[in-house]
Amino acid sequence: MMPIDPTLFTIAAIVLWALGMLFFLIAGERKVIKFLAHGSYLAGILVLVVFTWMLWDMLGRPPMRTLGETRLWYAMFLPVVGYATYIRWDYKWILHYSGAMAILFLVINLIYPDNYDRDLMPALQSIWFVPHVIVYIFAYALLAAATIVAIKGLIIHYTGRMWSWNMQLADNLVYLGLGFLTLGLLFGALWGKEAWGHYWMWDPKETWAFLTWIGYLAYIHYRYHKPKQITTAMWVLAGAFIILLIAWFGVNYLPSAANSVHTYS
Amino acid sequence: MNKEIGTEDLLRTKDMSLNKPQLPRKKKPVWASPWGYAEGWLFVAGLLITGLALQLVSGGLSAQTLSWPVNLYVGLVFTGLIVLSWTFFRKNSLVNWLARVPAAVTSIAMITFLVLIMGFTLQEDAGNPVWVQKLGLSNMTSSWPFLFGMMFFMASLGMATMKRLTPMKGRNIGFFLNHAGLYIAIMAGLLGAADLQRVTMDLHEGEVVWGSVDRQGHYMDMPFAVELERFNMEEFNPKIAVITTNDGRIVPESISDMFEIEKGHHGNLIGWKVEILEYHKMSGRIDGRFEPVVDYGAPPSALVRVTDSHGQQLEGWITSGSFMYPHQLLQIDREHSVAMTIPQASHYSSDVVIYTPAGDLIETRIEVNHPASVNGWRLYQYSYDDRFGKWSSTSVIEAIRDPWLPVVYLGIFMLIFGSVYLMTLGKAPEKEEEPASGQNSSERIGDEKEATLNDSPADNPKRVNEPEPELAGV
Repeated sequence: MMPIDPTLFTIAAIVLWALGMLFFLIAGERKVIKFLAHGSYLAGILVLVVFTWMLWDMLGRPPMRTLGETRLWYAMFLPVVGYATYIRWDYKWILHYSGAMAILFLVINLIYPDNYDRDLMPALQSIWFVPHVIVYIFAYALLAAATIVAIKGLIIHYTGRMWSWNMQLADNLVYLGLGFLTLGLLFGALWGKEAWGHYWMWDPKETWAFLTWIGYLAYIHYRYHKPKQITTAMWVLAGAFIILLIAWFGVNYLPSAANSVHTYS
Repeated sequence: MNKEIGTEDLLRTKDMSLNKPQLPRKKKPVWASPWGYAEGWLFVAGLLITGLALQLVSGGLSAQTLSWPVNLYVGLVFTGLIVLSWTFFRKNSLVNWLARVPAAVTSIAMITFLVLIMGFTLQEDAGNPVWVQKLGLSNMTSSWPFLFGMMFFMASLGMATMKRLTPMKGRNIGFFLNHAGLYIAIMAGLLGAADLQRVTMDLHEGEVVWGSVDRQGHYMDMPFAVELERFNMEEFNPKIAVITTNDGRIVPESISDMFEIEKGHHGNLIGWKVEILEYHKMSGRIDGRFEPVVDYGAPPSALVRVTDSHGQQLEGWITSGSFMYPHQLLQIDREHSVAMTIPQASHYSSDVVIYTPAGDLIETRIEVNHPASVNGWRLYQYSYDDRFGKWSSTSVIEAIRDPWLPVVYLGIFMLIFGSVYLMTLGKAPEKEEEPASGQNSSERIGDEKEATLNDSPADNPKRVNEPEPELAGV
């Protein structure tokens, strides 16, 4: 009873991104292939945007309720962040990492197809729902990109090569990411007051969201204070992202979350 | 990956490399000024040990000890101490240290450690071993170690704010919004917890209710009365699923194919083609079929046609039933049936009349996400009698009073603006090192030193001239 086929759109986006990344790799100075690379990469994003828009229209509710639906937004934002980073600061490799991560999340959605239904519990029917989720997932995408910078740096460091690593890109992504993360948290607090009567209740999801937030806070302060201690900073960044992943979907599996109101299916 | 390591890098390693041999630094004895991380970790250890000891001896804390006006005094004294000590004793090792990053990072680490424990521990006594309860880990937010951690964190946050405020500079506005905003929000949230009142009122249609019950079951008179005129509920259409007839469980493989019941809808449920020929939102059973009726307790029903892989067809009525009527399945083979799920609520609300002592009479609707306000209380749609679903004639309203909320919101809105400021802090990084494209490299070299030193969330040019003591040695 699904008038649009998610599989088709998902596969189209995967193929377009894969092609775009391949063209970027082999383009060199050839204008036509470069053009194809940009076109293909952007077309992949566009396909997903169109699909999300159609899904929203068909369901009559924001497609942000299930874990699979948040993965869809994530897979849409990551390449946007990667592409913007590339255009703005000319870091080409970030395109490939964010593209690969987006593809990974779409593949997860292919393996575990969602049951897209229209039901939306009354508490989620709020003007805060959309800004809260979008801002959060966008922050997650930015912070994933920052983590990629850190992990790449760590790998190069521990393989013992003569190297230099510039953390400015990671810092920029974290400033943006933490900014959005803070907005997401605060929008959630304002919404919580309207829906559940209190702005902060230490619900397990909130506890982990707080940990994520304070982890990036630690990173920013440490970077400010010890700009040359890069290795420690990169480890903090990697650790904060693990906490982020727990906050995003790990919470569902924690025994401490037995009574959470943030029940994601 | 090799591509990234060009000659430019080798030059830059002078500044950026990790492998750079560090200049032998003189090790500063612990507790000699200025304090740094070592003192921070010792401080954290001291707070944890003291906190846990107090917890074991005296048990946990109760939010109520801080109720009005004690919480106001505590907040004023704590904040006043920070202001005074920064104004008069900023050369003091402790005061000076609290205003700097090592105290911020170690206090953040302490909070992270405690909240991490909280994140892995079910926050209620039941189900936790005795030692966890004794150490306060299952009631983290009202434990001594958490209180100490918060005090350390707030002292550091407050002192850092004071440091940036003196002298006051326009360019520090972003720093101020973030730090003071967080201080105000957390302080008001912590102190206000004691004055937060949450009670529920059980309303029955046509009854005027003055009383409420709190979470501990204590009865309390409210400064207003509420009468329930009507409880309303709308529902989404139910869905159709394949279940195992014996135990009534939905077959897992069919979950992603379940679809909404509506006349004309059709779909494929693990090999069976299912069509909805007829659907009634409320219906009654007449001669083995269902007809639309408007009646108390009337359940939804649907006429479905199921076609199996051999083309064999089967038609029949199904219903989810209600509290008055049983459900009805359509058996499609020896083990399986198609069934209608219980409809989910899409909206529910209470039409109420609120009476105040002043003689006001307020007619309003209280709905999820749309609370009503009266005399400093906010009224929330909390619950209903779910045995009866949309026929429930009772509604539970939660009344909440939080006099500190405006202060918390002040902090939250400062933080919202502060986080927008945070997003503007990014700087152009040095060019990605790719031997093939060496554009702009000359332009960057001059920036390099500044980029490193300025790498601060505060963007404070003072830093360049007066690096922090720890930085001076680097």
